[in-house]
Amino acid sequence: MNKSMNVSKKVSEQSSRRDFFKKTAAYSVSALAAASVMAPVKVKAEDDPAIMEEQPWATKWGQPVTYNLYGQPSEYESNVTRRTTELLSSGNMRASIAVTPLQDLSGIITPNGLFFNRHHGGTPDIDPNKHRLMIHGLVEKPIVLTMDQLKRYPSVTRIHFIECPANGGPEWRNPQFPSIQFAKGFMSCAEWTGVYLKDIVKDLGLKPNARWMLAEGGDSSHMGRTVPIDKVLDDAMIVWGQNGEALRPEQGYPIRLLVPGWEGNLCVKWLARLEFASEPYYCKEETAKYTALRKDGKAIQHFYANEVNSVITSPCPEKPWTDLKKGDVVEIEGLAWSGFGTIEGVDISFDGGKNWVEASLKGLVLPKSWTRFSFIYKYDGKPLFLSSRARDDAGYVQPSIKQERDAVGIEGVYHRNGIHTWEIKENGEVHNVQILS
Amino acid sequence: MFKSYRKVISTVAVVALASVSAMAASDASRTYANGKKVIDGGMAYPVKNGKTSEYYVNTQKAYKDVKFGRPATANEMKAWDIDVMYDGTGLPDGQGSVEEGDEIYEAKCASCHFDFGAGGAGYPALQQGNAYEIHETLKLQRLHPDDDGPKRNFGSYWPYASTLFWYIKTGMPHPAPMSLSNDEVYALVAYILSINEIKIDGEELDDDFVLNKENFLKIKMPNKDGFVPKIEGKNGLENARKFYDNPKNFGGNKTRCMKNCFEGEPKVARIVGAGISVFNPPLSSKKEKPAKKEGAAGGNEAKTTYEASCAVCHATDAMGAPMVGDKKAWAAVLKKGIDAVYTNGIKGINGMPPKGGTALDDAKFKAVVDYMVSQSK
Repeated sequence: MNKSMNVSKKVSEQSSRRDFFKKTAAYSVSALAAASVMAPVKVKAEDDPAIMEEQPWATKWGQPVTYNLYGQPSEYESNVTRRTTELLSSGNMRASIAVTPLQDLSGIITPNGLFFNRHHGGTPDIDPNKHRLMIHGLVEKPIVLTMDQLKRYPSVTRIHFIECPANGGPEWRNPQFPSIQFAKGFMSCAEWTGVYLKDIVKDLGLKPNARWMLAEGGDSSHMGRTVPIDKVLDDAMIVWGQNGEALRPEQGYPIRLLVPGWEGNLCVKWLARLEFASEPYYCKEETAKYTALRKDGKAIQHFYANEVNSVITSPCPEKPWTDLKKGDVVEIEGLAWSGFGTIEGVDISFDGGKNWVEASLKGLVLPKSWTRFSFIYKYDGKPLFLSSRARDDAGYVQPSIKQERDAVGIEGVYHRNGIHTWEIKENGEVHNVQILS
Repeated sequence: MFKSYRKVISTVAVVALASVSAMAASDASRTYANGKKVIDGGMAYPVKNGKTSEYYVNTQKAYKDVKFGRPATANEMKAWDIDVMYDGTGLPDGQGSVEEGDEIYEAKCASCHFDFGAGGAGYPALQQGNAYEIHETLKLQRLHPDDDGPKRNFGSYWPYASTLFWYIKTGMPHPAPMSLSNDEVYALVAYILSINEIKIDGEELDDDFVLNKENFLKIKMPNKDGFVPKIEGKNGLENARKFYDNPKNFGGNKTRCMKNCFEGEPKVARIVGAGISVFNPPLSSKKEKPAKKEGAAGGNEAKTTYEASCAVCHATDAMGAPMVGDKKAWAAVLKKGIDAVYTNGIKGINGMPPKGGTALDDAKFKAVVDYMVSQSK
């Protein structure tokens, strides 16, 4: 009874609205026409067509809610993507790296689709139902976990960057890339969810001589790395969640190791096996790769933390100041990070590092995480050498390139954290340079 | 009145600043929760007042009672324990000669690493000459454009040959890892040692030399002592801790200069020429929809697969594979009929792994072959 009354009410409402539409149809061919009819205007050159003309999205239906049930970025954002280059690729693109567009990111979280991707045998298509984690070696109780059992452990969520220790490595001898994406984009930062390794290991009866842990992937490269027990019992995690969803296949689905602040390569993807031993393993990535050759001919092995570092993300070669006018007041923005701990502050220089002023930190400041910094600047159209220099709570300050070279030489490949400088030309273009003073 | 007001403000500010830094200092520590000094030269954030740095944590006692999983069986551990350690732990029984290794290398490795391990096309060199001589290059610094730099390869740089055995056994050949027998791995390691001119017990490895579990442990790599900190043995962890406690060892800096940090004008190094600027896809700041891909409806799946997985060897004749577009080469391949071509491709032939290392089903693989044939008529 009630229902039928409601229906008839609806019908009468609809029919009266239909009448209204019929009457107004003549005026709604386009808003511009309607505007002319109802309040005639003559469009002038100074008027923005984006405002004066009707846009199709303002006059037609958009997509239904059933469209893209797993959301995708706007197609207009197609230029925002990971990129590759031949120098950093194997011929078959299965032992390669695709790097993150730092120029296009905001805040401290990298979207999962843009998180840099390095792999050694291609991205595997792992069935989580058939994936297992084995923990064995120098423990009283070796165990096997299914993914469901692993996720029964109480979860921990932390924001940490992962940085390939070769980030900036191609530029030890000279600047090479006219691009922030390639000069500094071997890194990303995400909110990770998983379990502290110490919370699993505590019940396994770790033997007193268990000094090292092998972490090994279940993909075709079976890539392994050795982690000292100190880190296992501090903040190392096994993670399955990234920015609120499951890890993407290229990030280690279903699980990866997370070793906060340390070499990204240690964060073994597609993690399948952890073995404890009294001796270090000397894995493939602990040889000519992931060791840093000093000028005395000795190589630093087990080089753990990615040192304190920073880069200005705006302006940068991809986001120049070519549209600025003299007198514009603009924000200089950037990212600072340290695998040693928490960013304490960032200094900015306009003369290539001769004199410095302190910038502001902004947003969340967390350990072993990207941290945003900001400086408001009045643009006067003069060329600049724009540099940033971060420092952390362990007391480390980013070295000048000269200081870094004097200490270790120029053949280290890995762990380069010398101060980065952009040259701002008079026309606002931004070039990648190095200050050697 | 005004002055004293300002004074109050600045005193408050100083107090606020002091309390902020005091808080930061109490949150972070140079020691772990167990009281040991950090191993990496950085900071640790032990839980204090229910928090680690900015993060709250669950401090219920029952937290530690959570335990899941089941015991690993002996067979399971044996099946997965594939590593080979520097002291020989994990080294399997077996043997192989330099000559056998040479043959396997030609068949399964040369397509990427080229003849005699010379490397190229994005794949690493396995030797660059006599390892003992090449080892001397590790002190070189390329300060000028024409300078020779350090040559880093297995022979000149790797501390232990166990890593080579482990890596070949579990990671090679790259398209088909875990496919080699232990004897084949011994043979390949023997061959790679020989092309690096590495001696065992002072002896050069001729073609007849047979590597096995016993003489493997006598291999001493030229750069064994070239690494710091020393991590082997029971003091390994403490050596690393001590090493990273001294920033000088790894180029750490703790000084912060604010004014006149160098003399004169800055000395600037710029990118030479255009630098490295060929990127895929090219850099772009344009906000526009991508052009619709030709044949995106599905007609070009075979072409896409060819480009992603086959072109690496078939786009040129450098790898010894029939080059797509080379009519003569493909006419020869097709002599025995298209079915023979399918079968060879699916099973693998010469340097080509089964299905070219792809995971395509037979139908899709054949479509790719058809595409390659169609482009070579």
